[in-house]
Amino acid sequence: MSTDAPHYTILDANKAYLESTNSTREVLVGKSVFAAFPANPTDDVSKNIERTIFSFEEAINTKKTHTMSNYRYDIPIPGTDQFEERYWTTSNTPVFDENGDVIYFIHSPNNVTETYKLAQREKAGILALSNQRQQLYSVFMQAPVGIVILRGIDFFVELVNDNYLELVGKKREEFESRPLWEGMPEVESQVFNDLLQGVLKTGIAYYGSEAEVKIVRNGVLETLYVNFVYEPLIEFDGRVSGIIVVATDVTETIRSKYQLKDAEERARLAVDAVGLGTFDLDLIHGEMITSVQFDKIFGFDEHVPRSEFVNVIHPDDQEVRSKAHQEAIEKGWIFYEVRVVWKDDSIHWVRVEGKVYYDENGKALRIIGTLLDITEQRNFREEQRKLATLVDNSVDLMSILNLNGTNSYINKAGMTLLGFDTEEQVMHTPIANLHTPEDLAFVEAEVLPQVMQKGRWDGTMYVKHLKSGEIFPVFNNCIRIDDPVSGKPIAVGAVMRDLRPELAAKQALADSEQLLRNITTAAPTALWMSDESGDITYVNQTWMDWTDSKFSDNLGEQWLKAIHKDDRKRALNKFISDLKQRAFYEVEFRLNHSDGTIHWCVATGKPQYDNDGNFIGYIGSCSDITEQKHLQQQKDDFIGIASHELKTPVTSIKAYTQVLEKMMQKQGAVREAGMIAKMDSQINRLTSLIGDLLDVTKINSGKLQFNDRDFDFNQLIKELIEDLQHTAGKHTIIEELEDTGMVYADRERISQVITNLITNAIKYSPDSDSVIVRTSVHNSEIRLCVQDFGIGITEQQQEKVFEQFYRVSGDMQHTFPGLGLGLYISSEIIKREGGRIWVNSKVGEGSTFCFALPVNQINN
Amino acid sequence: MPENKKIMIADDDPGIVDAIEMMLSFEGYEVTSTLTGDTVLNMNSDYPDLLLLDVWMSGHDGRDICKALKQKQETSGIPVIMISASPELKRSAHEAGAEDFIEKPFDIEELLKKISQLIK
Repeated sequence: MSTDAPHYTILDANKAYLESTNSTREVLVGKSVFAAFPANPTDDVSKNIERTIFSFEEAINTKKTHTMSNYRYDIPIPGTDQFEERYWTTSNTPVFDENGDVIYFIHSPNNVTETYKLAQREKAGILALSNQRQQLYSVFMQAPVGIVILRGIDFFVELVNDNYLELVGKKREEFESRPLWEGMPEVESQVFNDLLQGVLKTGIAYYGSEAEVKIVRNGVLETLYVNFVYEPLIEFDGRVSGIIVVATDVTETIRSKYQLKDAEERARLAVDAVGLGTFDLDLIHGEMITSVQFDKIFGFDEHVPRSEFVNVIHPDDQEVRSKAHQEAIEKGWIFYEVRVVWKDDSIHWVRVEGKVYYDENGKALRIIGTLLDITEQRNFREEQRKLATLVDNSVDLMSILNLNGTNSYINKAGMTLLGFDTEEQVMHTPIANLHTPEDLAFVEAEVLPQVMQKGRWDGTMYVKHLKSGEIFPVFNNCIRIDDPVSGKPIAVGAVMRDLRPELAAKQALADSEQLLRNITTAAPTALWMSDESGDITYVNQTWMDWTDSKFSDNLGEQWLKAIHKDDRKRALNKFISDLKQRAFYEVEFRLNHSDGTIHWCVATGKPQYDNDGNFIGYIGSCSDITEQKHLQQQKDDFIGIASHELKTPVTSIKAYTQVLEKMMQKQGAVREAGMIAKMDSQINRLTSLIGDLLDVTKINSGKLQFNDRDFDFNQLIKELIEDLQHTAGKHTIIEELEDTGMVYADRERISQVITNLITNAIKYSPDSDSVIVRTSVHNSEIRLCVQDFGIGITEQQQEKVFEQFYRVSGDMQHTFPGLGLGLYISSEIIKREGGRIWVNSKVGEGSTFCFALPVNQINN
Repeated sequence: MPENKKIMIADDDPGIVDAIEMMLSFEGYEVTSTLTGDTVLNMNSDYPDLLLLDVWMSGHDGRDICKALKQKQETSGIPVIMISASPELKRSAHEAGAEDFIEKPFDIEELLKKISQLIK
């Protein structure tokens, strides 16, 4: 090709060129190349002429080969004005002269049309496929499921849609275009890697259902549940090049499913836990399905027919049950509480609750319900009722104060105390109405803060009666009541006691004490107290007045100072001995009064015991008996003198009588003499009575004298019996005497005693005719007993017959004569002689009176 | 047996003196009596064979009289029976020198027995 731009004349052409350009040498040589191959007018895009010129110029100017690849340059079809589309790869290579200048260049086009077209077709195909894929991807991207396309053995993430990213909680940039496990390393160790490898190897799709995935979503480890498909991507050659993962999040579904299951389980557990039995009663057939718990509550270890359940319901509650069943059909539900009697006879309260189910015609089909053992509840309710009764009947006020300043509850006693009429009124009356402003201030400043802080307050405060307005003291014991759950205070509970009765009682006690003090001071009797060791702890004003002493002067043993020195020791000894025996203390002594006079006193003291029975001392009195002593003395003197004076006329009467009797006898006036003799015996009785009176006064004044000497005891008795037998009338005095020997005593006094006993025996046995006199020696005693078969003496009276002026009483006893002094005198005589006297007797059978004298005196 | 025996009664009660006098006279004794102790102390002749002497006489204690009589040689041999309503005085009567004692009121037989024992 010549460098003669712009013609570029063809200098020569080889065969290949001619063939490829559909030309002949003749046509081409010497001709401009562009004239030979003009531009195709239909081709306005390839710019083939400009590109060719550019390549020529490049080769010429740069003196280097210039190549154009795959460009279009259409060739005219000979004989037509048509062009044939051709593609070329052409090199233009400059050829130099000896000077190195370009003299021509070799234009070497290589027809690449076929190759180019093929490439073009291939390109189009690829494009089409790419478009298709693009569309598929876009479908994937928008699909409402998570989709990932994985490539190769690394599971390179080629595509991932937003849903998948959301599902796994990852960002696109950290997930896309990298191996799958790089994006979620925490999942690699789980089962999914193996599954993917399997699909890759086998080419068989894998379907996963409700699989659990532990995954970090948005920085938080979570458990997901997914349904997924691993679909292999199989190439034409059967090779598996990748996997399409389609996944849907079913976590919510699973969760709700589990939750439902859990809820069911919980319900079942709850039913078990509260001991609920369940039942399903078929109303058409009467059959009933029950739970194990139901059977248990009814006391059965196994399921039993319905009738069995009905049978164990307490007879008194059967009606409750049947009534409930009748009403259930109408009401649509059933509720009743009855007692169930178990086999062991224990009683259990049960509550039946249920719902009635109907068919479309309104016919009742079944009742489904629950059964609960409410024995404890019932018992608790009963306890609560008792507690409520207790509160209701309490005499103290009990209240619950809400924190808003009103009482939510006040018991009956409290309502009465404060003047409330209704419970409604209680709830709407602020505590401000129940106190004066000052007292309310105290409550608000002292009571409530302390209850709130320390949990309790107790003390005295004042309340006001709603109606009367009376302000009165109460002892309030209040506590804070906390909510058991939150622990926050919710109320204040209070128990208040009306202090008025207590104060009144205190006042009454004080008054009573004052009164007692006044009385003890006013009493004409001295009063004293001692402790358990006998030390004086109290004397009253009277004693202090008598002795002109101070209270403290008398404590301990100091009281003795006031006692006449001759009586002091005796009074103390008696007190010490009575104290030792815890006995009733009684002693007479003379007391030196402050005015110098001497007064006789009788002091008595009663042993005191505390509630446990422990001796705590004496409480006693001391009465001035000077006057009595004086009177007693006067009486004794009087009786003594009177008796003595009486004896004088009696002596002369007796003397005259006896002289008269003798005269009558001498004159032979036997009848008159007999009368006089009777008169004489009456005088003897009078003499004896006077003698007794004299003896008693002597005993009382301690002037009974004894002239003790030895005498033959049995001898004395024989003499006495001989004498007494004369006056014994129908009674025979029987002697049963053992040898007793001598006795040392006052013979006259002893004979007085024996006479007394024998005459009594005769006197009190009017319907019998014998009296037995026995003597004997027992141990160191000489004993005499006089037995009669008369009216006898009751046991109580036996103890008293030896008392002064005592006479056995009864229907007839008053008809027996005598002053009742004989046995008293006898007993005093025997005691003074150192002996003892006693009686055994049975009413209606007679009595045996005995005395015994110490035997050691016999030998003296 | 009691013939010519003279008994003196000394008691301040006229009733007793009279009754005993009558009784002893009835028994055959010669009886003198007095209501005062002075009479007894002042007698110097015509002594009785036995004296019944009351212990408590107005103005005089019979025991003192008895002691006085027993101290005088002339009267010391006269047996004395003292009489009293109080049996306790028996011992002191003996101590005063009385030969015997009898309690008022007495049985006449007992008195006569005592008298006859003392008057041989």
